[in-house]
Amino acid sequence: MSGPAPGAVAIAFDGVRFTRERRTILDLPRLDLPAGAITVLFGPNGAGKTTILRLISGLESPDAGVIRVAASSGARSDVAYAFQEPVFLRGSVRANLALGLTLRHVSGDEAAARIQAAARDCGIGHLLDREAHTLSAGEAQRANLARALALRASITLLDEPLAAFDRVGRGAFLEELATLLRRHSGTVVLVTHDREEAFRLGDRIVVLAAGRVLAHGPLQEVLRRPPDRATAELLGYTVVIDDAGRLLGVPPGALRLGADAVTFRFVVEKVVEVGLEERVRGRIVTRSGEVTGELSLPAGMPVPEAGATLDVSAVGCVFIGA
Amino acid sequence: MRDLVAAFAQAFRLLASGNPGLYAIMARTLLVSGTATLLALVAGVPLGYLLARRRFAGHTLLLGLVNTGMGLPPVVVGLFVWLVLARSGPLGSLDLIYTRQAMVIAQLIIALPLIVGFTTTSIRALPERLPDLLRTLGAGRWRTLWLLAGEARLGLLAAVMAGFGAIISEVGASMTVGGNLEHSTRVLTTAIVTETSRGEVPLALALGLILLALAFAVNLVLTWAQARGSR
Repeated sequence: MSGPAPGAVAIAFDGVRFTRERRTILDLPRLDLPAGAITVLFGPNGAGKTTILRLISGLESPDAGVIRVAASSGARSDVAYAFQEPVFLRGSVRANLALGLTLRHVSGDEAAARIQAAARDCGIGHLLDREAHTLSAGEAQRANLARALALRASITLLDEPLAAFDRVGRGAFLEELATLLRRHSGTVVLVTHDREEAFRLGDRIVVLAAGRVLAHGPLQEVLRRPPDRATAELLGYTVVIDDAGRLLGVPPGALRLGADAVTFRFVVEKVVEVGLEERVRGRIVTRSGEVTGELSLPAGMPVPEAGATLDVSAVGCVFIGA
Repeated sequence: MRDLVAAFAQAFRLLASGNPGLYAIMARTLLVSGTATLLALVAGVPLGYLLARRRFAGHTLLLGLVNTGMGLPPVVVGLFVWLVLARSGPLGSLDLIYTRQAMVIAQLIIALPLIVGFTTTSIRALPERLPDLLRTLGAGRWRTLWLLAGEARLGLLAAVMAGFGAIISEVGASMTVGGNLEHSTRVLTTAIVTETSRGEVPLALALGLILLALAFAVNLVLTWAQARGSR
């Protein structure tokens, strides 16, 4: 697999519409996914993220428009796809990893080496001779990923690769996956509805809602300049209108007690204990209205009464649509 | 009881005597029912797959027909095939009536719904996304079907057993469209009917035991294959 040319487009959607039972699932007038990058498709359930992967892989055909997939061999067969729910055939993990390689005419020492490398990278080297159906959910997800990576396709599609992990396992594997994908030289398109995964794994982000692209571009750029309120809210910002009438995005966990450059009035509603920490839930009040927010109390700070008004400030705020 | 003992003795004598007529009937029985089962598999497995995995106009109707067909009375099938293949029937010019080919057609019709029904059930039991997975791994249409058949092999072997078991033991259709012609279309079941009507009960019983032994042998091989497949 040779590296893509800088700035090359790996996948281009042109006037693509996909409908199911007369309902528009996806409407992509124009979307280019660059080669060699990790693009995260991010959005809530029903946004059309998985449909995009199915269209790229050729499992679905659009009702209108064209999808150009510039895989190195020029064919859809140079696309690897790891589904959200791992599916295996009878037989060992090794046999399951080997199947895709056999179907793509890779066999012998080359296939054995790829299986070994992908299994080691995904942390399942010791499970290769286990029956695939006996794997735990987390192991199955790793094997699922290893099967896709072993193909060394120029385009790899990953649908919620951390979905089967519990919270603890997810954190650990997220770091492994980030390292693994940085080493991967091909194009990766990854679907997630989890902000942490999206921000940790992506070079670029496509924010989707109800089958439409709200924003797309380099991750940092979209995070710094969300184009509209809906995008900002999906990205986790609490959106307030400041006294100058501008839309302001307050990042999660950014509220601090006390006045600063960007200061709001905060009306306490209730105090909740989250482990050893006490968090105050309430309303951020501006001249244009109010939105709900949350701030952490510094240690030793007296717990405010419900209805009390505090001055709070926020760091790292972004202007929306700027 | 005495008849049964005599039948066992006669069955062994018949087999040991190397009677070419008997061996020809046994071979013909296996040939006709084996061919019908094979053809039913070729047509029934893809059809069963379609019914399991695709929704199309008339899907429910076809599934209902298949389910009904799983209990088709062989003599009724024989009657319909006879009406179609008889000299005066729409396909009379093919001159197939009272031939082994006509028996294969009738037995195919009996076995087909069983194979389709069992295939549908066994393919439905596979993970929903398996065909998609095989496609994304690089399998073409026929390779996908072959790999899915491998995954569903226990159910498909059950389908073969059900189909073959139903037609090797049927007499109504074979008699009606084959005519029970000696040296031509006589199979074990029709030979049993003939010998019973002639009053040769021990011989009929002996043929019955040979038929059972034959069916048992074929099913034993399939069961062995099924047991291996489940490992």
